[in-house]
Amino acid sequence: MFALGGLLRVGSTFFQSAGTLLLPVRTISTGTCCQIRMHAIPQPKQVDRWNEKRTMFGVYDNIGILGDFKAHPKDLIIAPCWLKGFRGNELQRLTRKKKMVGDRMTTLDRHNLEKRIRFLYKRFNRTGKHR
Amino acid sequence: RGAARRFASSFSSETALPPNLRLPSNLVDPDRLKRPPPPEDSSLPLIRKCEAALPAHLSPVRTWVDTLESKDSEPLGLTELHPDVFAVTPRHVETFHRAELRFSDHFSFKLIFSHANTKVRSEVRGGGRKPWKQKGSGRARHGSIRSPLWRGGGVSHGPRGPNSYYYMLPMKVRVQGLKVALSSKMAQQYLHVVDSLNIPTPDSQYLLELIRDRHWGESVLLVDVSQEFPENILQATANLKTVNLIPAIGLNVHSMLKHEAVILTLDTVRFLEEKLLWHDKRYTFLYPFKLPYSDFP
Repeated sequence: MFALGGLLRVGSTFFQSAGTLLLPVRTISTGTCCQIRMHAIPQPKQVDRWNEKRTMFGVYDNIGILGDFKAHPKDLIIAPCWLKGFRGNELQRLTRKKKMVGDRMTTLDRHNLEKRIRFLYKRFNRTGKHR
Repeated sequence: RGAARRFASSFSSETALPPNLRLPSNLVDPDRLKRPPPPEDSSLPLIRKCEAALPAHLSPVRTWVDTLESKDSEPLGLTELHPDVFAVTPRHVETFHRAELRFSDHFSFKLIFSHANTKVRSEVRGGGRKPWKQKGSGRARHGSIRSPLWRGGGVSHGPRGPNSYYYMLPMKVRVQGLKVALSSKMAQQYLHVVDSLNIPTPDSQYLLELIRDRHWGESVLLVDVSQEFPENILQATANLKTVNLIPAIGLNVHSMLKHEAVILTLDTVRFLEEKLLWHDKRYTFLYPFKLPYSDFP
């Protein structure tokens, strides 16, 4: 068995070498083709698909349906208090911030907030197509 | 000599894979599909019958009930699962897609929330004075050094402040998403029922070998009803990344899709059926469900 295999392999190499003598193939390069710089290719970043955050992603999101509606998934969000379970455009977000957090802000931030609210109010309600 | 060794490897019985082999991620393990669903005339006892009222045209789905006590034990018995929870055919692919791929039930704090903020020209420090007079200097006319044209000036239409992208899908869509996820796991034989989560040893290796012998898959999600779990299983799963334990309240579509196999206990099955079937027959709410109703819960 092994002898047969060995013979076959030797035979194929013999034929290959004979073929190369019959049909000479030479690759010519003048140095103008694209030169891939092997050291500059960055390594693909190794992402751990099973770290704590990724495994536990989305757990407790059905706590309302499955848990007797005692809690709502919006209670689970970690966010500034004026944005928990709230979605709105910039003016709505800023007015909500002023209502909920306004008296705790620094004077400069509060001043900027009020200027921005005034500007956005005028912009949304007095200019443009949708007023 | 190298040729002989290479030739010999084709006759060897070891299944050594070449190191640079890349398998597709949705490869099906044929050993897992070797166990067919229980036949009609199986000799094992029916441990749990379906409690909820079944529609007349549907029959309950039957599955094996296993144990985690010993590695090579036979299934303990059979269970009946409600077809409206575990054998749902998603009639509209769109709801299925919405419920599962659009993260029906995840409110991850990064994805619904962005802290990106830029200063507008009024907020950037400085820039109240007109830099040079309007006419005569030969330079372009400017009113402040912090206008968006200037380097160091404010951004005119940039991201503004902590921004929230919060949304909730309708309750029935979320419920349907859970039912469809459970049904797909059932249909692909990735769902297994177990009588309880008691293990003999708090050893992670025992769990891994059990999972490997039973061909459950690479990653396993264990779900139990109560918040308190037996010590052994807590310790065993503490160090394992791909085997995770959650209470039934924490069940969600994303985790079910992330883990290959989902293991439910009998109590969990009862709990899920009760919670998910109620939404089929309820009236719409007049006020939020967390406020007291006379007939619920």
